[in-house]
Amino acid sequence: MRWLLVVLGILAVLPTWAAAEEPALTVTMRLAEAEWEVMRRDILPTFEILCACKVRAIDVPPEALVQRLRAMQQAGRMDIDLFAQDNMRLQELVDAGLVSPLTAQESEMSDSVYPALRVAGVIDKQRYFVPFRPNVQIAYYNADKFTEYDLQPPRTWPELLAVARAFAERDGIGRVLFKGAGGAPTTTQLYEWIVAGGGDPFDFADSGTVATFEFLASLRPYLSPESRRAKWDTTNDALAQDAAFLAQNWPFGVPLLVKDYGKTAIRTYSGWAGPARQAHVIGGDVLGIPVGARNRRLALAMIQFLQSHMVQEALTERLGWPSLRSDIGDSTSEAWMRPHAESVQEALSHGVFRANVGYWADYERLANEAVQRILWRAEAPATVLPPLAARLDALRKRE
Amino acid sequence: MRSLRVPFLLVMVLFAAAPLYGLLKISLSPPGEVMTAHPTLVPHGITWRHWQRVIESGQIGAPLRKSLLVASGTTALALLLAGPAAYSLVQLPLRWRYGVLIGLFLCRMLPEVSVAMPIAVVFLRWGLMDTALGLTLAHLPMALPVAAWVLTTAFGNIPRDVEEAAALDGCNLWRTLAYVIIPLALPGVIVAALLVWLLSWEEFVLATYLTLGDKTMPLQVYYYLYQGNAFVTAVAAVIMTVPVLLLSALLQRFIRETSLAGVVR
Repeated sequence: MRWLLVVLGILAVLPTWAAAEEPALTVTMRLAEAEWEVMRRDILPTFEILCACKVRAIDVPPEALVQRLRAMQQAGRMDIDLFAQDNMRLQELVDAGLVSPLTAQESEMSDSVYPALRVAGVIDKQRYFVPFRPNVQIAYYNADKFTEYDLQPPRTWPELLAVARAFAERDGIGRVLFKGAGGAPTTTQLYEWIVAGGGDPFDFADSGTVATFEFLASLRPYLSPESRRAKWDTTNDALAQDAAFLAQNWPFGVPLLVKDYGKTAIRTYSGWAGPARQAHVIGGDVLGIPVGARNRRLALAMIQFLQSHMVQEALTERLGWPSLRSDIGDSTSEAWMRPHAESVQEALSHGVFRANVGYWADYERLANEAVQRILWRAEAPATVLPPLAARLDALRKRE
Repeated sequence: MRSLRVPFLLVMVLFAAAPLYGLLKISLSPPGEVMTAHPTLVPHGITWRHWQRVIESGQIGAPLRKSLLVASGTTALALLLAGPAAYSLVQLPLRWRYGVLIGLFLCRMLPEVSVAMPIAVVFLRWGLMDTALGLTLAHLPMALPVAAWVLTTAFGNIPRDVEEAAALDGCNLWRTLAYVIIPLALPGVIVAALLVWLLSWEEFVLATYLTLGDKTMPLQVYYYLYQGNAFVTAVAAVIMTVPVLLLSALLQRFIRETSLAGVVR
């Protein structure tokens, strides 16, 4: 009897012991349902086999990552080993001392990673992040409406103005959308318009920046009224409900509009160029390792794995993600996704990185104020911009 | 005045039911019916596609279970702690009684965001992060003042004569509580339970800080909202509403205005 108890005791403890011996890596990302399915079914199990470890993949929204890392750091218990974070939210992680440098990984990054994408993870001359999933905004348009009104998707600012005017005159209401609700959606769109206009987004007195605001003011009477409340999510609604026929947004709207909502008339292309160039702020996710991560070695292996040809190809093929590697072509497996993937790839070739500045939150307030006053209060750029330019200049000098 | 009662009630019912109807309609509508310039109020077609997608995703069961566990646990603990406290408060003079209750409510004046981070840090150290127990404990400070307030009012409405009559009949304190006071205060207890359950069920901020992988229902609905699909968001929101409706329907028969009528002569 005693024998039996001893054996049962060992059997009860053995699985716990064995599980404790197998290293476990905790990774956080924010993915859509379909993306998680591919990640959990096709990608992560391969890494588990290769590294003889367990991967705990958790969905954490980008806006919640900082607070969670901060709580873990204060508790002296870092439960996250690797995270994927929106590249628009990196400065706060660095400022809070939550992310550890990855300088040594600079040399280990594959030569196939687009040089333009490498820049993203470097802050204050130190590499903290490495690329994972690049992303850019593309232009969505309602092909049926463009055909009906005998219009072509605009490729330049004058064409954009002409299209906006044509829709407004025929429908009596604007159908071109500018994300003017404020916050990051407005700032991001404004940023790339200013770059396209040949301006300096951080200088409101720059001639290119002033020209961009003047163009925006000329577009104002022909914009869709939905522009006032347009953010990233409501832009999709405006397109789906035919409140807007032309709008810029991230590619996450493609499966939503075309596949889920059945809006097959919605097409995409890279967008229009300003007087200087075509410009698209490169968004998407980068990878980072928190300070105090318990499985740093495994996390580094996971970074290599996620950037590998095999994984990037699988993500492009199964999810239509634009790849961070130049040695992967357009291999999207679903036919309906291909034209959209091409639009993204084309836009990516005109990608620009948003500079990481410590005063970004203040900059966003100023940029939003300029848009609000010029678009929604119809104030002249010549009146609005000079005082804002002085405030922005003061911010720059303070930094 | 009486003639206005029915129209008034009708307006109130419509006011309460309209958002629920909207959610249910969107969750069952084909996309073409909603995603148009002029969506109709009355459904013309019904599809289970969105429901099927949410259920087949397997992402709704675990949050539903966790939320049910947390809300029920918070309710049980809040009643267990606030009940004796409320009964003791009733014995105090009115001034003191409400002084203490207002003191309890002062704790609620602190925004949840300001206390969520310290709670998360402590719970991480205690291994309570991402657990139903941790979230239940975090919800208690929010739930206790509400439960104490309602129960104090419920116990305070019971005439002292009833307790004295029970004592004359030979009941000790515990028997008086079990057989006289609690049954008489049952409508108040039910109201307190419902309020606390609802507070915990829909709580978002603390759940955000204390959850890493195992989401609660509000976090899951937020996840769908974040993805931007109006239909699956509506399905998740309807699923989140069902337990609330069931619980309210189940418990409302205990809530009677006249439960104390005729207890003393």
